[in-house]
Amino acid sequence: MAAIEWIRFGIGGLFLLCGLGIFAIEMIGIYRFHYVLNRMHAAAMGDTLGIGFSIFGLIVMNGLNLTSVKLLLVVAFLWISSPTSSHLIARLEVTTDEEKDKHYRQVELTELEKELAEREREEMDAPTEEEG
Amino acid sequence: MGEGIPGLSQAYQILLTAALIFLAVMLVLCLIRAIIGPRVADRIVAVNMMGTMIMVMIGILTVMLQEGYLADICLIYAMISFLAVIVLTKVYMGVYLEKKDAEAGKKKEAGKDGSD
Repeated sequence: MAAIEWIRFGIGGLFLLCGLGIFAIEMIGIYRFHYVLNRMHAAAMGDTLGIGFSIFGLIVMNGLNLTSVKLLLVVAFLWISSPTSSHLIARLEVTTDEEKDKHYRQVELTELEKELAEREREEMDAPTEEEG
Repeated sequence: MGEGIPGLSQAYQILLTAALIFLAVMLVLCLIRAIIGPRVADRIVAVNMMGTMIMVMIGILTVMLQEGYLADICLIYAMISFLAVIVLTKVYMGVYLEKKDAEAGKKKEAGKDGSD
């Protein structure tokens, strides 16, 4: 019986430490990226994977009861609400940014396709030039 | 937590306390980001992250103290932090657009006066 309890502690602790590691990676990303829209990419990681791992580890430690169901509900709610809040923050940033050109480039999809086709053509031309 | 098995209770205590301390340090770093963040969106992202970390802390306390009602608090905290993000973004965007509209109106009027 004691061995099973120790294994449960090990698995739960491993998942909890994984979650904390992802929080640490999130924090590194938050400090190393230079713009909000990049930083949000790192921040969303903790909101989904970090809390998912941590709460799963806690559920393993706690065993199956009503408290675990409530903790699972927290994760389910966060997995729905985090993309929504990220979308809102991104829209806020794009609306209120006064110097857009400094931070990012806004392109239409048709323009992007044209640009990609051009680049592809150049790449196809390049080797023939080298042969010639 | 691990009653009757020698050492297990203490191991749980050490692991969960260490996790709480680690999360507290992360929380302080988040606060620093919220203070130095150059744009408003930066601050909102940092506050959102702090909310996530506090949720994990409340979850750890739920397991550590074996108090089931703390999970309810965690759930309510998640909802309130989501609501806070929605309200902050909506209010800030409304204020910004209003200011911009007012500026555009003023400019238009000034242009009219100049042409007359």
